[in-house]
Amino acid sequence: MIEMIAALLGGVFYGLIIGIIPAAGATTGLIALFGFISYFVHEPYLGVIFLMAVVAASTTGDSFTAILLGIPGANSAAATMVDGFPLAQQGRAGYAISAAVTTSTVNGLIWGCLVFLLLPWYTNLILILGIPELWAFTVLALATVGFLSNKYWFRTILAIAFGIFIGLVGVNPENNEPRFTLGWFYLEDGVQIMAVAAGLFAIPELVKGLFTKTSTATGEIRKGELVAGMKAVWENRWLALRGGFIGAFIGLLPGLGGQMADWLAYGSAVAANPKEKFGNGNIKGVIGPEGANNSQKATSMITTVIFGIPGAKFAAILMSLFMYLNIELGTPDIAEDKELFTSMTFGFLGATVIVALICMFLIKPICKIASVPYKYYFPVLLALIIFTSMQYTGGWEDLAMLAIFSCLGFFCKHFMFSRPAMLIGYILADKVEGFTLQLLGIYTWETLITRPIFMVLIVCIIGILIFSITRKGRIDYA
Amino acid sequence: MLKILTTLAMLLGFTTSAVADYTFVVPQKPGGGTSVWAQIVATEMEKYLDEKIIIKHIQGARDIPGFNKWHNDMRDDDKVVMVSHGGNGVSFLNEKVDYDYNEYDSVGLMNLNIIVASRKDHNPYGGKKTSFAAGSGQIPEGIAITLLKCGAGLTTEQYIDCFKRRVSWIKGMKGGQRRLAFKRGELDGTRENPAAFKKHVQPVIDKGLAGLWFHHGILQADGTHADDPNYPGIQMEDLFYAANRTKPESDLYAAYKLVKSFRDGMQKALWVAKGNPNKAKLIAALEKVATTPESIKAVQKKVGQYDWLIGKAGDAHRDTLMKLITPEALKTLVTFNNEAFGIKAVYKDTLVAQK
Repeated sequence: MIEMIAALLGGVFYGLIIGIIPAAGATTGLIALFGFISYFVHEPYLGVIFLMAVVAASTTGDSFTAILLGIPGANSAAATMVDGFPLAQQGRAGYAISAAVTTSTVNGLIWGCLVFLLLPWYTNLILILGIPELWAFTVLALATVGFLSNKYWFRTILAIAFGIFIGLVGVNPENNEPRFTLGWFYLEDGVQIMAVAAGLFAIPELVKGLFTKTSTATGEIRKGELVAGMKAVWENRWLALRGGFIGAFIGLLPGLGGQMADWLAYGSAVAANPKEKFGNGNIKGVIGPEGANNSQKATSMITTVIFGIPGAKFAAILMSLFMYLNIELGTPDIAEDKELFTSMTFGFLGATVIVALICMFLIKPICKIASVPYKYYFPVLLALIIFTSMQYTGGWEDLAMLAIFSCLGFFCKHFMFSRPAMLIGYILADKVEGFTLQLLGIYTWETLITRPIFMVLIVCIIGILIFSITRKGRIDYA
Repeated sequence: MLKILTTLAMLLGFTTSAVADYTFVVPQKPGGGTSVWAQIVATEMEKYLDEKIIIKHIQGARDIPGFNKWHNDMRDDDKVVMVSHGGNGVSFLNEKVDYDYNEYDSVGLMNLNIIVASRKDHNPYGGKKTSFAAGSGQIPEGIAITLLKCGAGLTTEQYIDCFKRRVSWIKGMKGGQRRLAFKRGELDGTRENPAAFKKHVQPVIDKGLAGLWFHHGILQADGTHADDPNYPGIQMEDLFYAANRTKPESDLYAAYKLVKSFRDGMQKALWVAKGNPNKAKLIAALEKVATTPESIKAVQKKVGQYDWLIGKAGDAHRDTLMKLITPEALKTLVTFNNEAFGIKAVYKDTLVAQK
């Protein structure tokens, strides 16, 4: 038990710091762990607790920078920033942070319980659904990412295609021959996720943080503001719960990420209060989106754990880290692994509670951490990311791959090609190929049309295509 | 306490390499089957060596680069031990690799077996196509199924043709997906090592949905394969004889015997360069692991109940394997891999010359 608590506290501490650091967040924090995760090989379930705690804590922690600095710790806190930062500029940082943390915690606990305590039951689905349904579900994930998440849908389709191409580099499973390796033996084991994730996300975000001008709001915490923030959540409890529900729903759709849930929740808060002004420090603009990001983190674990199809980009990284712990998500081992569920539940729910207590009781020192100039964090984070990226062979090839994918990351960021879509395409590439080969090897059209769930999923995919082609407004998201 | 220290070490980014005495090179990433096995064996050996062992993972395509790297750059270091697995043995037979088992001394190896099950509604000798997960790791099973379903007296070309008619070789399936597909009844057959078999396949058998099909047998010092006491009476050769009233004598059978021996006969192995001064010390520690009940239990949890072949016994076992390499067996294996399985394989006459 002591070891579990140590892992939990370690994850909370790391997650909170990484959440607070501007431009970092859960994804970058998880990427940086590739270099260290093998220390948990002996005790994989301690590793699971640690990782789940990092996810939960960083999700709550990133509210601080969004509110105090006007830059989100991660993309998922961007919506919180719109009204949170003006509140902090008005000297009401404590009020905004308290409301954000309370909403995050309540929704994290509600949806964390619904997801993690019932996860063993959900895993029965893995035996009900066959290869055709898994194939269709994987394609559905790509369709939702490609057509629903971004107004630049053509660029997103290109990003997915390129992600799949990267994922197919290596050895052709049909004949064991090298594929797309350009004769470079290094690539025969495929492009490693450390380079892809660090290059696409971590490096561009770190560099962006270096050049982002911040107008730090006062971190002064007035007396009574914390209680006022909690009261505001109670007064707007249905808004908070609706935000949680929206986040949970988006999390369930494979491949969609936190920012979409947050903006939908923010939009819902605005729509529900047409007579109020938003963008100038309306607490409802904080409570709405903050309800969404923790619930989304929880529910996106459902598809990730059961089918091995990441519900969001953080989940894609998490899935790869679990592989290092000899835990392969989306396989029958999972259904029988009670300790895994216990560890995930303990890590997520435990961290949600602890981080809330820390945020409330240590709000002043945390505000001070958030106000440390980013230039001091930058070299440490950069060194960590480079170290992580060199865990594959330790040679120059690792650095070359990091450089290539960093350039790609900057390019995609600048020209609005969806990087999450590219990552999901990369992660799902071998599943798309594998399930397609399996489908063609085992099933015929005659047998496929007799499977109702498969047919429903196909209809959903077609529906998404039609809906997205005819719809005009989409979320600006890359 | 140890767990707490491990956790703290992780949090602080503490690395044990500075205090390590031995390094076990594992040719795959952390979390892989051989990596976990190596970690268990290293932990047990540390108790008797009284020295620290760290695991160094060198990843790469089909686990070849790690073994090549050790062979080319690291084996002269007296403190570095190579950990290999059955897949390395298969690659040794029909892929271009640098490593060569003849150039090393065995610290010890585990001579294992693989068990195959089939769904209840599946006809193991004829009938409709048998669906089975493809992959270079399943080559012995693919050939065994071909022999069982196609019978005796065929040429290699006829067996290849029969394989295409009677076996659905399902590509693109990973281990977890294979287990799942078998549980759901989408695959007719599956295979596992004994420990994994108990965990993943036995529950399906217990539900009455599947049954034992065959196993490959355990390689003996004279090059024959004996029945597995854990799963008696279902060795492939015995089933073949029962169905055909003749022994499985063909070029394809020779190829089968060769490839199953190299995969299962050195399923897990520890190697050092010839003349390594620490060999005796390592062997002594491994002997303790192999005879101490607590250590035996820890290792068996991962691979099942099989004996170690330690030191000279390991070398002799390796020599037995090398004697199985004949031009006919090797050529047939390469031909069957290329034409039936569609797996790129190369014939290496140097293997025959050096045996």
